[in-house]
Amino acid sequence: MKPFEWVQPSTVAEAIAALEHPGAMALAGGVDLLDRMKERLETPSRLVSLRKLSELGAIRVEGGVARIGANVTLAQLASDVELRASHPIVGEAAGHAATPQLRAMATLGGNLAQRPRCWYFRSEAFHCRKKGGVTCFAQTGENELHAIYNNKTCASTHPSTIVTALLALGAKVAIAGKQGKQREVLLDQLFVAPETDVKRELDLAPGELVTSISIPPSKLKTAYTKQVAKQSFDWPIVDCAVALQMTGNKCESARIVLGAVAPNPLRATAAERAVAGKVVDETTAREAARAMTAIASPLTDNAYKVPIVETVIARTIVAAARAS
Amino acid sequence: MSDDETPDKPGFSRRTFLRGSAGGAALTGLITLSGKAHAAKTPPVVGPSAVPIKLDVNGAVREVKIEPRTTLVSALRDQLKLTGTKVGCDRGACGACTVHLDGVPALACTTLAIEVGERKVTTIEGLAKGDTLHPVQQAFVEHDAMQCGFCTPGMVMSCAALLAQTPKPDRVEIRQAVSGNLCRCGTYPKVFTAVMAASGQPAEGWTLETRGVGDGKAPPTGTAWVGIAGGSVTPEPRTVPPGEAAPWPTSVGLSVVGKPATRLDGRAKVTGAAKYTSDIQLPKMLHGKRVVSPHAHALVKRVDTAKAERLAGVKAVFVVKVQEGATLVDPSTEQNGKFPRIRYAGQCVAAVAATTPEIADAAARLIEVDYEVLPAAIGLTAARAPNAPLVYPGPVNLGGSAGGGGAAKGLPQRANVRGPTEQVNGNVEEALAKAPIKVTGEFATQVQTHSAMETHGIVADWGPAGLTVYVSTQGTATVRDELATVFGLPKTKVRVVCEHMGGGFGAKFGAGHFGVVAVELSRRAKAPVRLMLDRREEHTSVGNRPSTVQDITIGANADGSLAALDLVSHGSSGIATGAGVGWAAMRMYPAPAQRTRQHDVFMHTGPGAAFRAPGMPQGVFALEQLIEELAERLKIDSLDLRDRLDVDKPGGVAAEADRIARKLERRIGADRIGWKTRGAPGAGKGPIKYGIGVAQSMWRRIVDMNSACEVRLHRDGSVQLRSSVMDIGTGTRTALAMVVAEDLGLSPADISVEIGDTRWPIGPASGGSKTLVGITPAVRQATHEVKQKLLAAAAHKLGVATTDVRVERGKLSAAGKSLAWKQACAALPTEEVAAIASRPADWNGPKADGYGGVQFAQVQVDTETGVVRVLKVVAVQECGRLINPLAVQSQINGGIIHGISYALFEDRVVDRATGRVLNANLDQYKVLGARDTPFIDIVLLDQYVGLTNTDAHGIGEPANVATAAAIANAVYHAIGVRIRELPMTPRTVLAALGRTGKVVRS
Repeated sequence: MKPFEWVQPSTVAEAIAALEHPGAMALAGGVDLLDRMKERLETPSRLVSLRKLSELGAIRVEGGVARIGANVTLAQLASDVELRASHPIVGEAAGHAATPQLRAMATLGGNLAQRPRCWYFRSEAFHCRKKGGVTCFAQTGENELHAIYNNKTCASTHPSTIVTALLALGAKVAIAGKQGKQREVLLDQLFVAPETDVKRELDLAPGELVTSISIPPSKLKTAYTKQVAKQSFDWPIVDCAVALQMTGNKCESARIVLGAVAPNPLRATAAERAVAGKVVDETTAREAARAMTAIASPLTDNAYKVPIVETVIARTIVAAARAS
Repeated sequence: MSDDETPDKPGFSRRTFLRGSAGGAALTGLITLSGKAHAAKTPPVVGPSAVPIKLDVNGAVREVKIEPRTTLVSALRDQLKLTGTKVGCDRGACGACTVHLDGVPALACTTLAIEVGERKVTTIEGLAKGDTLHPVQQAFVEHDAMQCGFCTPGMVMSCAALLAQTPKPDRVEIRQAVSGNLCRCGTYPKVFTAVMAASGQPAEGWTLETRGVGDGKAPPTGTAWVGIAGGSVTPEPRTVPPGEAAPWPTSVGLSVVGKPATRLDGRAKVTGAAKYTSDIQLPKMLHGKRVVSPHAHALVKRVDTAKAERLAGVKAVFVVKVQEGATLVDPSTEQNGKFPRIRYAGQCVAAVAATTPEIADAAARLIEVDYEVLPAAIGLTAARAPNAPLVYPGPVNLGGSAGGGGAAKGLPQRANVRGPTEQVNGNVEEALAKAPIKVTGEFATQVQTHSAMETHGIVADWGPAGLTVYVSTQGTATVRDELATVFGLPKTKVRVVCEHMGGGFGAKFGAGHFGVVAVELSRRAKAPVRLMLDRREEHTSVGNRPSTVQDITIGANADGSLAALDLVSHGSSGIATGAGVGWAAMRMYPAPAQRTRQHDVFMHTGPGAAFRAPGMPQGVFALEQLIEELAERLKIDSLDLRDRLDVDKPGGVAAEADRIARKLERRIGADRIGWKTRGAPGAGKGPIKYGIGVAQSMWRRIVDMNSACEVRLHRDGSVQLRSSVMDIGTGTRTALAMVVAEDLGLSPADISVEIGDTRWPIGPASGGSKTLVGITPAVRQATHEVKQKLLAAAAHKLGVATTDVRVERGKLSAAGKSLAWKQACAALPTEEVAAIASRPADWNGPKADGYGGVQFAQVQVDTETGVVRVLKVVAVQECGRLINPLAVQSQINGGIIHGISYALFEDRVVDRATGRVLNANLDQYKVLGARDTPFIDIVLLDQYVGLTNTDAHGIGEPANVATAAAIANAVYHAIGVRIRELPMTPRTVLAALGRTGKVVRS
């Protein structure tokens, strides 16, 4: 890594002030940031350590609302008993992520902010669109791991599996900014489409910091699937979170989210519309899934994802309907 | 039946209530920020230059001087000299650097030292309490939960943290806890077993049964035992030259050999005390860094090192002038200019040595290289085309670096296609035309990288007295010999040392280009230089298993006998050769007409290197599937077909022994996997299908006569064994001690085994599964000679004839009198007696073509996602006389695990446009982990061939050959569709099922 300064603020306000320094970046668990710095994808001149920001480290469940600080680790998310009771798929997604060591180090905030795993993006040798170049190398290159939706500008996929679950639950993000400003947005709105700005994934202004996620009370029936090829540590082929508003065995409305198949976490609205108002069974679940896969636009090497996405959506809808 | 059908459990026990902030302070209320502006304090800015900090490490407060960018692993290893924590990938994917922060597993490579703060760091060195090992460490040693040992510290740390949280974890929790610790040697089964044992629970799922034969008596004079467990053993006539150690009895009559023994280096490995190449720190040692080409095919027009040379701390800069890879028979066919031509992305252009790794890295980046980029041949199909860009414009003479056949000198070469290497028996075309039954198929296999947990690396010390190198190697003498040649030094002036190495699997013979570069840097800098490759370089430039495309046709008669076998193969070893696959096709099943035509296809990618049974997993993947197809066509059970085919094997007595062995193994394995319960292929209901498949392996018994050792016995009773031979994780160190201990009436722990140093008699390189075949007879012979002197001394002391003296456990006795071991040694005429012995020649008995085994796999296939999971493998193997069954089990586990990983996950992905390796890491290059490990049931048949004084054979490769084929056959059984391509990823399986388009490989 290139040399950098390091500063460790004690409050969010101090952190934001420290981040105003040109070339400053925020350091949480460091799991993705250090990787990118070692590969020279980013060369911050200053790292602002968030580790001492105790106000970002809590999980609270009150009145069914879960509030999770940005510094909460994935391991804490996975093992928190109250959160498992109130919003089970969040802990489930966290428990599937990465490895035990990484889960102990990685924070929720860092997990949201992690950057794509596209091997062209991750290699210093390829100056792709996301890094300011003019080419998306994946589109004509090796794209077996890449997006099958919204892939015209950039074929990368957002790698966070926690986000998939959070989006299905309608989570909101609290963001702190300069001069004590705060704002809250739906998590859906935090992501930037490549067509809008390919060079970044999150809609955060310079000097802004995600401080917490809040998840509204959930009377929904939910399920989560992370589909991998290898069990021990694998990026997903696709992951899927389903939250169903059910009356008996009829689905009133659904939120279905897909990860790892598009540059941003994807609301599978075609599937949501298809299952709404239906009695949920294997047939209707499969039909809903097909509504989504019918609009996939795979690249040369990743068409295999389409039947897998179909299966995963269908199975997850069924699992959600059966959830207690 | 599978361990993790249950949903994933939380990272710690679900019974844990783990709340609280990452910062360790108390909870605040709601996470709100007050609207009032805080009087924001400005926290102090640290760095970028170094500052002293305090770290609480293993219970002591230590001061280190670090820059903010210094990782914890660097602070621990380089400053605190706690080298037990290893760097495997430096990217957080492999777990080798696992330490504890406040008792929680963390990756030291992905933690900045300055971020640790008040948290307590525990490293592997901090687990034991004085001499008392942590229960996990103790269990690892007892259950042999290690091989090369490089992943072991990280693995132990993860397990220790688990037990602190969950005193009685179940198997799912154990798998989960180590799912972030990669082990390339495949110790996962033993890790699970060790943790179950350490937590006082029974361990099931990974079993070893050894079967012996014979009554334990010595064979009659003039004979040696021949036979295999499950058959009978008979004394066969052999002439043992006078002065050589006599044949042993069958192993039930031995005290040490044949019984499970824990590793002599177990304690060193579980405590982090074992030193690997990157742990070597010499005074004034510099750090090397290479500059490599980002282009696959290019001319180097200009290299400007001026800025690098001016950087403070840089002590040597070196531009490569000698071409890497093959040399052209006629160099005038290529105009390269001043610098060597670049033939692959990752080829070394220059190198620097500097006082710190950071300066070396910065200096490397300051070297300016101008390239003229040329079109490159990437992808087997593209590279084979007659008008493809040429890797070599004319013939090259290059030995097969990848070990597989097809690399003889003087072969025809058209564009990038070199070959064929042709082997012919009879007239294949005629025989095929007449054969009533034909099965044919095209099979493709991928490039696999060795991915040992320790990357290649060297510490080169060019000094006035000579050159000393510490290097991660499988063959210390191979490194010595190459460096002596390259640098024009006598062998006596080159010393190579490797006490422990972190895995090789065939890629670590010779000095390597990087090794020569490091020595050159040391020579110029007049200081030791350490050059360790990083994980990207490891995937790119130091070896791989070549790809293959194989077209095989088998012609058979109605009675099942083979009439003909025809194989054409093409494969790429990048800029090297050795992509052959034909040995299995020629040798496993007899046919009166056989032909193999094997071709190497040059490509602008990194060179291949011998990889665990070169050519064999590829060849057997194809062959054993076709045999299954043939059995199906003939409507007979494929095990019965193989029985039938073995009958035709020529070769007399030796072939007969082979036939008996293989048939036995088939039957035992079939019984244990439940072969008779199989239904028709693809018959299962529902999307999740199950299947059972079989494949068998053969491996050549290779004898390396350059196998020597020294045994030294001292008057105080201590014993030394010395040889340059390596223990690459297989347990050689312990096996050799067992051989010595057997004949001297001692225990293995009584023998001080000193290996891995070319100062000592030169032993065989550890590869080809030939280590024990080579070295153990030499060890027995040297022991024998030393023993004669001891017997004479004891006889003199006891007043009896030398021939009356017997060695028993711990004593020597004759005619009712005895001397304790130490008493007898005290009677030696000189302070020490020693013998250097070279391996005696094989005795005059018939030699089989090889030896082998049979594996059965049980798989689950999700036909909607294409995911294949291996649930269980049964392996029935022979490997001569078993020396240490515990180590053999670890090797077989490892070979099977390699085979599964190769069959399902691994694939080196190269960008077709630029030739760069895209997945040069350990998360997108997928290596099997703890949660993908099936149950493994091993039956070992003790075997005697009566050819040497130990009859020991190797097992590393035989255990790896059949696995992928067995899985492929099991997948066919599950889904009724044959997969002829590796790896069997979801993409490949879904394509075979017609649920997605065919995979088009470039």
